[in-house]
Amino acid sequence: MTHNKHVNAYRVEIRGAAKHYGTLKALNNFDLTIEPGTFTVLLGPSGSGKSTLIRSIAGIERLDSGSIRFGDREVANNGFHMAPEKRDLAMVFQDYALWPHMTAFENVEYAIKRRNLDSIEATRRVNEALERVGLSAKGPNYPFQLSGGEQQRVALARAIVGRPSFLLFDEPLSNLDADLRERLRVEIATLTREIGATACYITHDQSEAFALADQIGVLRAGELQQIASPEEIYRHPANRFVAAFTGISGSFLGTVTEANGKKVEVAIGKRRIECRTSADLKVGDSVEVLIRPSATSLSDHRSNSLPAIVLDVAYRGRGYEHVVECEFGVISSVFATESTSRGSKVDIYIDPHNCLAFPSEKRVALEAAIAEFAPSTN
Amino acid sequence: MALDGGLLVRHRVPFSNEDSRFKRGFNRIRITPMAVFWTLITFILVIPILLFLSVAFSPRLMSQGHQWFTLASFKPVFSGAYGIALLHSLIIGVIAAVGAMIIALSMAWLVLRTNSPARILWNTTIFALFLAPSYLIALGWQRLFEQRGVLEIMGLHVEPIRNLLYGPVGITMVLMVKGIPFAYLVIANAMRGLGEEFEQAVRVHGGNRLAAFKVMASLLMPSLFSAMAIVFAEAISDFGVASTLSSVGHFSVATYQLYQGINSIPVNFPVSAATSITLLSLVIMAILAQNRALRGRSFRTLSGRTRPVTITKLSFLGKFSTSTYIVVLLMITLGIPVFGAISASMLDGLGSLLSHYTINFSNYSRVLHSRFLRNPLIYSTEMSLITATLAVGLAAIASKVLTSARNTRSKKFVDFFLLAAVALPGIVFAIGYIFTYNLRFINDLGLHIYGTSFLLALAYTANALPSTSRSLVGNMGQIQESMMDAARVHGSGAARAWIDVTMPLIARPLLIAWLLTFSGTLLELPVSELLYPPGSPPVAVGIELSLAGFDYGGGTAIEVLSILWALVVVGIAFFLFNRFAPPGWKRLGNQR
Repeated sequence: MTHNKHVNAYRVEIRGAAKHYGTLKALNNFDLTIEPGTFTVLLGPSGSGKSTLIRSIAGIERLDSGSIRFGDREVANNGFHMAPEKRDLAMVFQDYALWPHMTAFENVEYAIKRRNLDSIEATRRVNEALERVGLSAKGPNYPFQLSGGEQQRVALARAIVGRPSFLLFDEPLSNLDADLRERLRVEIATLTREIGATACYITHDQSEAFALADQIGVLRAGELQQIASPEEIYRHPANRFVAAFTGISGSFLGTVTEANGKKVEVAIGKRRIECRTSADLKVGDSVEVLIRPSATSLSDHRSNSLPAIVLDVAYRGRGYEHVVECEFGVISSVFATESTSRGSKVDIYIDPHNCLAFPSEKRVALEAAIAEFAPSTN
Repeated sequence: MALDGGLLVRHRVPFSNEDSRFKRGFNRIRITPMAVFWTLITFILVIPILLFLSVAFSPRLMSQGHQWFTLASFKPVFSGAYGIALLHSLIIGVIAAVGAMIIALSMAWLVLRTNSPARILWNTTIFALFLAPSYLIALGWQRLFEQRGVLEIMGLHVEPIRNLLYGPVGITMVLMVKGIPFAYLVIANAMRGLGEEFEQAVRVHGGNRLAAFKVMASLLMPSLFSAMAIVFAEAISDFGVASTLSSVGHFSVATYQLYQGINSIPVNFPVSAATSITLLSLVIMAILAQNRALRGRSFRTLSGRTRPVTITKLSFLGKFSTSTYIVVLLMITLGIPVFGAISASMLDGLGSLLSHYTINFSNYSRVLHSRFLRNPLIYSTEMSLITATLAVGLAAIASKVLTSARNTRSKKFVDFFLLAAVALPGIVFAIGYIFTYNLRFINDLGLHIYGTSFLLALAYTANALPSTSRSLVGNMGQIQESMMDAARVHGSGAARAWIDVTMPLIARPLLIAWLLTFSGTLLELPVSELLYPPGSPPVAVGIELSLAGFDYGGGTAIEVLSILWALVVVGIAFFLFNRFAPPGWKRLGNQR
């Protein structure tokens, strides 16, 4: 089966979206733009508002304020709420949401009814969708007769069969085992790009986000922290939270001893480490140094390295990952092709490129407090 | 469609960006299914209950006295005939509750935890006991043991048993029998979730069988208290036994006293309302006592790790003694009343002063050929069809509101009124309807519905709605909301999604709820007795009228035919469901 880019993918714009549950702010003045035909992943921990956002986009939740626009259609705006069935989108749910009284075929067929096709064409499209997800023989089966992975494939077929312009994914892989997750991830990426739909995918799994996305939005407490390409998010995280949530193997507190634009030297105890920073740091500032997993290696380098003791070692197929303890804390995921036994003394080289310095949380909090109570200059 | 909507929901239509501000002003108003639901709930449940009960405190509010606020109506409730009747109800309620709980506990253990051979008879018995109203059980006993009853005609001397039956012992026994299925279902459900691991944990840590039993009993405590609270509530609000054994034996109970009060002239509505509130308070106190007894303790025993229990293999003596116990219990609960009803219905001339009686089917022939005997069955069938359909429809919406993930005001409101209505005895409901729909201002509104089949259908529906809703809540709560969301997102409106997704998923529970409501309404007594339209008696009233005219044979023949008819309808409904429902609908709820 060949899917051409046949759908009219549109831009999705969210402006000032807010949603409260009692006193809890699930979304707080949230802005987001998703370009037509792109794959956007919203990444965030539990309670960051990503589920509320995707449900509001789908029309399942009603925003308290703000607007959502699909192309030139406004689907939500202060008070106005377009019903989900009128938004012409499709969604893959975390718990699959297959209807247990319908067969796999009937589940997929349900989503195409709104297209008012003749029965021959509808059947052809359903069979095509099932074939595309590798389940052409499973059409007559009920959901309980399918494995978890097959059930999620049926949900995927249901989402694509109507050739929607906009596809939503609500943590669709979180209930599957690692191997299956990887295989389905590839299928989602290929299928969505084949049909050319705009896609919005939410997850708390950073590896999933980096693998799928054209752009990643990182959420925290109902607010968008940063939205950028995966490379940009990884290399230039906007703040400590984005850096920490997109993968670190350790962190240390220190003081800036030398500042040179985006490069700084940080004293950690008696050691000095070179790092990058996106903040405006000065000599003497307290900072937190976050180390990406790709920044560390076991090495004889004397510069930019820390002495440590191996606490644990785990075989990972292509090599070994070590957990080491230095005098300032623990660093995990230190990769080497050869194993070093537990208790061995080693030097850990830290690549300045993947080592990021941020103002320490205490300093950030203090600056915020000063800004709040400082007399207005207006 | 907004589930949490008001009576009228403002429906906004999509608008283009250019003239959005202008068009926003033109929202059209439409009547939604939820609006119909709330209107019906208000008129059939909220208004009759509140208006009637408010008269106890404020007789002047509804032109029933001169005072705006008084507690004087409560004085007679706690003295004289009312006070004695209330005390009687309280005592027999407690005894029936404790007795039913003990019997149900023993039966749950025998059925679920042993290989006693007679246990297979029990599930059918429970279903039959659920269907049989208390007055039919009482009438079965009465026909056997009354003067010139079946057993005396057979030449047996039964006067000592009769004296016991027509008094507190007989009344308590029948109420206990009627309470057993309620208690059994609660306790058996809890016992099913109680895996073997708790008992094993006691034993491996040095506890003996007695210690293990104590732990198991503690874990079952919530269900035991619930069972007692339910049976107590059912017993003190029962009208069937009150109108049969209690009235014949002159042992007054609160519900019969209420009935007599409403039949006296002039009717003292404030005192009836005060009695109703007192009765309602007793039920609520039972529920509160249950909650208090369990407060602060966690009894969550059901989890994904619950291990199936091992069945205790009984010795020959064990099998014999437990089977004897089950068979004796079956005889008392169902065997004797059924034998009483069937034998009486086949005795030609029972109730007359004849000296010779013949066994034949003439009573059945009379019922089928006499308009007076046959019409009640036809009328009740029509009313039951309407009631079951209306009540199940409303109950489905109510249970959807109750299982909503959001704790909305409408959810709390429905929850409160349905809980209050569950505790409200049928007789109080009926009196509330008499009172409300006789009020001058209701008539001034043009609602002349008192004494009509329409009002009877509404009262039946309101009476059935609380229990029907509660019976659907469990199944509705199991439906993941994402399945409805998926239907909406993939192009179906709210109503369409409900029909395509929710209804098939709860098709079997809906059918069972419909059948229970149909059967319950077919044989319903208190609402029928007080609200039937002149000239159109329902089955229960038809039976009572026949018995009052000493046509015991005709009365019991109607009784037997009604039960058979209910069973036929149940059979037809299940046959149709199994024959014509789509395969996916039938598969749900079955074993994999």
